[in-house]
Amino acid sequence: MLHRRLISLLAAALALVSPLPGAAAEEYSFELEEFSQKSVQWGGYVELKGEHLAINDSGALARLAWYGEPRAELDRLGATLQLDGSFRTKMVSFNWLAQASGRQDQEQWADDADIFAAYASLKPSPLVSLDLGKKVFRWGKGYAWSPVAFIDRPKDPNNPEEALEGYIGAGLDLIKSFSGPLQTVALTTVALPVGRDVNEDFGEPHNINLAAKLYLLYQDVDIDFLLYSGNSRTTRYGLDFSTNLAAHFEIHAELAHIPRQSRRLLRADGLVEMEEFADTSYLLGLRYLTENEITAIIEYYHNDDGYSEAEQARFYGLVAEAHQLYEATADNSLYLRADQLSRGAYGQPQLGRNYLYARLTWKEPFELLYFTPGCTAIVNLDDDSFSLSPEAVYSGFTNWELRLRFTLLAGADLSEYGEKQNDNRLELRLRYFF
Amino acid sequence: MKQCGRLSVKGSRAVGLFFFVLLLAAAPLAAAEPDGAAILRQVDANLQPHSYEMYRKLINIEPDGSRKEFVLYSVKKGDDRMVALFLAPASEKGRSTLRLGDNMWLYIPNVGKPIRITSLQSVVGGVFNNSDILRLDYSVEYDAVGIADQGDTYLLELKAKTKAIAYDRLKMWVDKEALLPTTIECYAASGMLIKTLSYKEKKDFGDGLVRPAVLETESPLYKGYKSVMIYARISKRELADEVFSLNYLARVEELR
Repeated sequence: MLHRRLISLLAAALALVSPLPGAAAEEYSFELEEFSQKSVQWGGYVELKGEHLAINDSGALARLAWYGEPRAELDRLGATLQLDGSFRTKMVSFNWLAQASGRQDQEQWADDADIFAAYASLKPSPLVSLDLGKKVFRWGKGYAWSPVAFIDRPKDPNNPEEALEGYIGAGLDLIKSFSGPLQTVALTTVALPVGRDVNEDFGEPHNINLAAKLYLLYQDVDIDFLLYSGNSRTTRYGLDFSTNLAAHFEIHAELAHIPRQSRRLLRADGLVEMEEFADTSYLLGLRYLTENEITAIIEYYHNDDGYSEAEQARFYGLVAEAHQLYEATADNSLYLRADQLSRGAYGQPQLGRNYLYARLTWKEPFELLYFTPGCTAIVNLDDDSFSLSPEAVYSGFTNWELRLRFTLLAGADLSEYGEKQNDNRLELRLRYFF
Repeated sequence: MKQCGRLSVKGSRAVGLFFFVLLLAAAPLAAAEPDGAAILRQVDANLQPHSYEMYRKLINIEPDGSRKEFVLYSVKKGDDRMVALFLAPASEKGRSTLRLGDNMWLYIPNVGKPIRITSLQSVVGGVFNNSDILRLDYSVEYDAVGIADQGDTYLLELKAKTKAIAYDRLKMWVDKEALLPTTIECYAASGMLIKTLSYKEKKDFGDGLVRPAVLETESPLYKGYKSVMIYARISKRELADEVFSLNYLARVEELR
């Protein structure tokens, strides 16, 4: 009798603590109506970013930027609004992406607003689409760099996943799938005009340029053949591929050849010449995932139109001369000359010839859900200077993302990262997606 | 010796006859043995049509009860073509993943181009990884290498067909009457238990499809955490092969 009572009591206690099946069903509700297709859709994010920059006051680029009023550090607070959206009917859609940002530091307020993309698409079938307007193409398989991205603006290797501004053009996309070793063939052709107020920064005006990409998925390998032809820039040819060697191991590569490339070069005698040469740039990369979820992205980039160590040193030498002249006489003429040379030439983000990019991210270590620490290194292999950026990203609150990143730039005198504007940079970024 | 030889011939004939009779007797028994591969194919057919569109919600539940929810739209064609598109939350909206056999790509709208990823990588964080989101039919990814009759259930031992599959071995408990899975244990090649899946709450999805609407996932690697996948709509749909290509990945939303 006693043990029967005990069993009844235990059963009653279990019934009290166990969730009811009905309650479990309510717990996991899913109202599909909330996600019904709408003809107009909006989205985007708002960002707040605070930065502290320790200025490399003996570096060439800092001297060039602040020779009148040298400074040791700079604090900057910025905000960005990015809006994307689309309007869709059955066969036609209109898509847009716009960004506006403002920044305040101890010196000045700066702001800008750009339409990154705004294009109409006509899609009579899954096999065909016709696009007209401003669009980003993002050709190439590289993560940090893409030498075959002939009709894109260059990526920032420090933030390669950020949105880029596109170019205005008309594009036709054709896709065909097959059974067998050749699984997919896709052809993308783009007509890209350059004229007054249209793609002015692309190249020589009053031209219509053509670019094409032929994509094949052949025996589990993505292969692209790329071509650009036109008078705004010289003709260029490209090839890229990517494939998985194993479930956790991907490799990719790009090869770009420009038979007639040109660049501004500061000669040893101090004169500036426009040098013409054949440019063959390439990139080799891999993505590897370890068992404990560390993802490694490693890329080697040969930038054939970059400057050699000696050519870079010549430019930094010019800035050093400009500094001495200014200190002695307040004459800034050499600074003005160096500033002119830095624009589109020696001042570009990666001006060297050989780079190594390595990014390691560790997904949710120590059971910390939505927390991803990482570290990115960019090394100029010619002068051994580098930037090193440890970071931590937390995305645990729905639609919020918080990123803390520190970047250290280091190198010898007359090396690329040794002469950059900053010694280091601390950045805290908060994004809210809507 | 001669007699002995005759006896020997007689003896071997008798032994042959004995084994023949044994074989005949054993034949019906062998036929009655459940066929693991056939059961696995039937499980697949009972879970989803061969080509379909589907709406799912993923909920990651943390030990303190806080949740993060994701909503996915996916389409599948044939054995090995599948696309999944995130509809919510806003931070993930527009992300899509494509699977063609063992190949997988991720498209992030901000990045604007598809990148090759691995099946083991997580797209959204939490217990789910790509292969959970882009899971093909079990019989496409696994061979049934063993079966045990456990009364009301079969226990199927499944082995991955290639090394590209996220989990090397599965133990699948299948309800005998409904031929639907109830519990699946996923193991790494090392023998380590990676996660346990529990199918729950049978629901009529229409067109003769009656299957569990909830899939709960727990992992010893994430102690105290739980992930739940809720199926809201699964319906047959035939799509062009070209929908399952890199160039189409940015347009998946148009299929809805």
